[in-house]
Amino acid sequence: MSKPATAPIIQSPLHGFGLVTVARAMNDTRGVWANEVPFLGYISLRGASTDAALTAAAAQALGLSLPTEPCTFTRDGAIKVIWVSPDEWMITCQRDRRAALLSSLAKGLEGIRSQVADNSGGFTQVLIKGRNARDVLSHCTVYDLGALGEGRVVGTTFGKSSVYLHQASDGYCLLLRRSFADYIWRYLVRAASPYGIGVAVFGPGHSGAAE
Amino acid sequence: MSSFRVQHANARVDFGKPLNFTFDGRRYDGFEGDTLASALLAYDTRMVARSFKYGRPRGIVGAGAEEPNALVQVEAGAMTIPNLKATQVELYDGLVARRTTGWPTLEFDVKSFGGRFARFMAAGFYYKTFQSRRLWPKFEHLIRHAAGYGNTPVDPDPETYDHQHHHADVLVIGGGASGLLAALETGRAGLDVILIDEQSEPGGWLLSSPNSVIGGKSAPVWIKDCLAELRSLPNVRLMTRTSAFALHDMNLVQAAEQIQDHLPPSQRITGVPRQRLHRIRADRVVLATGAIERPLVFGNNDIPGILTASALTTYLNRYGVACGSRVLLMTSNDQVYQGACDLADAGCTVTVADTRYASNTEWAKRAAASGVEILNGFGIARADGGRAVAGAKLVKLHADKNEVAGDGPYVACDVIGSSGGLSPTVHLYCHDGGRPIWDESKLAFIATGTGRAKAGIYCVGAVTGEFGLQAGLEQAFRTITDLLTSLGKTPSRVASDVRTNEPAPAPPRRIFRVPDGKREGHGKKAFVDFQNDVAASDIHLAVRENYRSIEHIKRYTALGFGTDQGKLSNVNGFAIAADALGKSIPEVGTTTYRPAYSPVTFGTLAGAHEGDTFEPRRYTAMHGSHAARGAEFEPVGQWMRPWYFPKAGEDLHGAVHRECLAARRSVAIMDASTLGKIDIRGKDVRDFLNRVYANDWTKLAPGKCRYGLMLDENGMVMDDGVTACITDDHFVMTTTTGGAARVMSWLEKWHQTEWPELEVYMTSVTDHWATAAIVGPKSRAVLVKLCSDIDLSAAAFKFMDWRDGTVAGVPARVFRISFSGELSFEVNVDASYGHHVWEALMEAGAEFNITPYGTETMHVLRAEKGFIIVGQDTDGSMTPFDLDMAWAVGMKKPYSFLGKRSFTRSDTARSNRKQLVGLLTDDPKVVLKEGAQIIETSNTRPPVPMLGHVTSSYFSPELGRSIAMAVVRDGIGRRGEAGVKDGRDVVYAYAGGTAHRVKIVSSIFIDPKGERQNV
Repeated sequence: MSKPATAPIIQSPLHGFGLVTVARAMNDTRGVWANEVPFLGYISLRGASTDAALTAAAAQALGLSLPTEPCTFTRDGAIKVIWVSPDEWMITCQRDRRAALLSSLAKGLEGIRSQVADNSGGFTQVLIKGRNARDVLSHCTVYDLGALGEGRVVGTTFGKSSVYLHQASDGYCLLLRRSFADYIWRYLVRAASPYGIGVAVFGPGHSGAAE
Repeated sequence: MSSFRVQHANARVDFGKPLNFTFDGRRYDGFEGDTLASALLAYDTRMVARSFKYGRPRGIVGAGAEEPNALVQVEAGAMTIPNLKATQVELYDGLVARRTTGWPTLEFDVKSFGGRFARFMAAGFYYKTFQSRRLWPKFEHLIRHAAGYGNTPVDPDPETYDHQHHHADVLVIGGGASGLLAALETGRAGLDVILIDEQSEPGGWLLSSPNSVIGGKSAPVWIKDCLAELRSLPNVRLMTRTSAFALHDMNLVQAAEQIQDHLPPSQRITGVPRQRLHRIRADRVVLATGAIERPLVFGNNDIPGILTASALTTYLNRYGVACGSRVLLMTSNDQVYQGACDLADAGCTVTVADTRYASNTEWAKRAAASGVEILNGFGIARADGGRAVAGAKLVKLHADKNEVAGDGPYVACDVIGSSGGLSPTVHLYCHDGGRPIWDESKLAFIATGTGRAKAGIYCVGAVTGEFGLQAGLEQAFRTITDLLTSLGKTPSRVASDVRTNEPAPAPPRRIFRVPDGKREGHGKKAFVDFQNDVAASDIHLAVRENYRSIEHIKRYTALGFGTDQGKLSNVNGFAIAADALGKSIPEVGTTTYRPAYSPVTFGTLAGAHEGDTFEPRRYTAMHGSHAARGAEFEPVGQWMRPWYFPKAGEDLHGAVHRECLAARRSVAIMDASTLGKIDIRGKDVRDFLNRVYANDWTKLAPGKCRYGLMLDENGMVMDDGVTACITDDHFVMTTTTGGAARVMSWLEKWHQTEWPELEVYMTSVTDHWATAAIVGPKSRAVLVKLCSDIDLSAAAFKFMDWRDGTVAGVPARVFRISFSGELSFEVNVDASYGHHVWEALMEAGAEFNITPYGTETMHVLRAEKGFIIVGQDTDGSMTPFDLDMAWAVGMKKPYSFLGKRSFTRSDTARSNRKQLVGLLTDDPKVVLKEGAQIIETSNTRPPVPMLGHVTSSYFSPELGRSIAMAVVRDGIGRRGEAGVKDGRDVVYAYAGGTAHRVKIVSSIFIDPKGERQNV
């Protein structure tokens, strides 16, 4: 009765802006360059950071320690673990690593008070670079960007919405929810208009998850 | 021509760059660096406005934010800006401005005739017109026509605005001598410093006083050197044309920057905002806001050509405009003398009427050397002139008392400047709770240098009452040293040299209202507040009418209102009120200083929060599909949901009719992605659900779903949704679209604060899942084409089951649940594939004419089944019992649940509560208005007992008639049989003047036994 399905087509939250088609190499003509880093894996992890069994088991499963200092993240290659609250982390990874991580987390955390939830459809990232990247962000967020050192991440305002924000290879990485992506991109483009904004091709080495 | 240009080297205008502009239809020339005011004054312009109440001729009085009269309309059409102060409008080539008062013309003003009856229009005139109910409508028409200034633009603003946030160790507000010194010292100490100044260039009063000398340098050189050093410091940011208009708690300062206002519209850069709102959070705020000279109050002091003495000085020194040839200055202090000397040196004949019997001897010497005539102990009793001042009658003042002691000369002049002393600009200091202190020796309400240091607020220079340049700089240096010490820093090794050429000061005379020898109200009108036409006599009248608080006197007389907010008039008003009340000035106190210090455009406040970035619009993964199919959207919370999908020529009703029938008879499809989804996991998850939901979750087996009602502490329904048991320790809850965030916080709150012992965690997965609801008798036939790994048969996959499988090649979780009463499958996939799966379903359903539908059809379908919408059929006062949903309450659960105890409250347990029922109109075509009142009879003569109201009302295509839901007192007991069309009990639904006869019935209109969803 059922016919073979065609290969599923994946769409990123910012698909509608056609960023892929307008992206080009960064140069000096724009103060800021941005693009979406689509199709990553996102895993929400909850558990007490004071629970040594949890942090040890999660570190084992991820091959990377959980950041327990507020507003920091850890990274190993393509995997990044972002502190969200004293009992919550967001793990980002290449999409094809997601299933393996979900399963190793589920196995490793068995019997430990915790929660692992796949959130890969719910988030995306935007990278912002260029000489005015910080200026543009100062129009968008109330956060003191001077206090956002390397390795630090903050959940903060973006216009009337919110993002997680950290420095990433000569720029900034925004982690945001799918349903707000349209608003956040439009707001970013508008904030950047005094400086000029271009949609950049960020090479494979430039994704927010893998640097 | 009495005004003339003085092309001196210190002027801040570029005489090599002439500009053209138009004022009130006449063409003029000016120079780059001029303001509209300075350029007009150079043409000897006197009258630029008519006064608010009496239509009196008015001219330019000030030189900055304090200007009360010269309100102009700049540019036209979409670019027009009303009520700018001519003193703050930077001239550009081609600028077009016009007056905002004077009707029909400035020369011939209708209101001026009313002015002849001024004694009938005294303080409180406006309020007094209220007293006649019969006459007020007539007054109102006249007053509305007469009031107001410029015109607001009616076309959309073509320019853009934005906001920017800053953080700094030190924010210095004001770029005058003290502010520059403060920025320099804190910048040298390595602190992160922001200096903002509202003018086109920093310098403050020094720009008006180029003959001052600081540290051996002339003022222009000192400013230049300061700025060069500040610009060389990477830790110092300098912003000009930026007016700090509000100081909030925790040292948050809001400032409006005029980025492009000074450029001709044709030269403005596209993409760059016209104005920008800066929000600056600073560890320390240094207020170097200076002071504004207040004029003396005397008879006819509002004749055009009478300015503040400091304005005359500014126009000469900064703009190269001598505002008259024969200058009469009246003063109570030393401040006018430098200007007097400068005017005399520029070729004016200058007379100073110094109200003091003895002037400062050094100043007297310098003035004499410049040829200035000084008349000691004299004041102006009244000025003469119509549309331009022509002279002034002086009187000899009593040495100690402000009374007339004798006659004085008549001085013919073409311009008058007066100075009653300086009023510190304490506005920002007071915005977040600071109170200014009256200093009798300074005759001013002052801010203290370090009085608010604990809050991180420091004040330097004239705002502290140190009006002299020397004293101000010394005070600033001391205060900044304190500030640096508080941060563990030391002042720069080479202390700034702040020695000046200023003579040691002499004390001022305490005088505000210059006496004319007559009782108040009997001489020539002496204005305190020019913008609101408040005279000294009005304040006396208010006091005679028993107003005691200065706040009440302000509101009765309108003293200090308007676009200038009383910057010239307030202190004079307080002093005159104190006199009239027989109190001291500190006993009278000040009115309240509130943001904004000076007007801020709406565009600046809005910033980027307009157009398509006005408010976040949330979109689902299938949005592109809906847009491509021509959906109309409606906002639900912040989500943009398809409302209906009109085909060509179809309206809302037509589309909904078609969509409803497709769902009932064939197959339809809806995007349900916006519902909140919360993943809940832990060994105590059933316990947790039992506590936060009214119903029982103990026995729900994996693979099953259940509808839940969530109550608040009062037992009232706050949310609802279907929750699925994935495994014994893992559930997925759905919430209403608008309630998702609230429910998530609610769950976290109860878990974190009351039940931390429960082993459970929850995570929002709303954005992760995209959900397509396939609805209708043919829905199984559609889904089976795309899903081979779930047995979709009625026997294997029952109503209220869920299964994991693959749909269109994508891992999916399929729920067999229904918000329509029809056979229905809700397909949930990773939202990255939401668009793909939606399109696959549309393609698979094409043979059944699968019909996408929106929220409107969803509402009709659920109402036909009597399913509630929380927030529409409930309003925070409905219990499950009121909704006839006792079946969703597990009263036997071992542990209590939220809201349970409240069921026994007397008001919750009583009879006669409003209960949810269905309504059927006698006339099946009548669709009741939602909100219509339910009443007992068709007699609508008040008072009419109100039994309840209609909560939902639609036309049901399936039934071919209207249906409605309503809450009615004791309604459940009054229902007819479920679905029976002739309910026993008849009431009326009243709205819009019509009472429709309705029957109370069950709210389940279709398929009362629920057979369709089980097929």
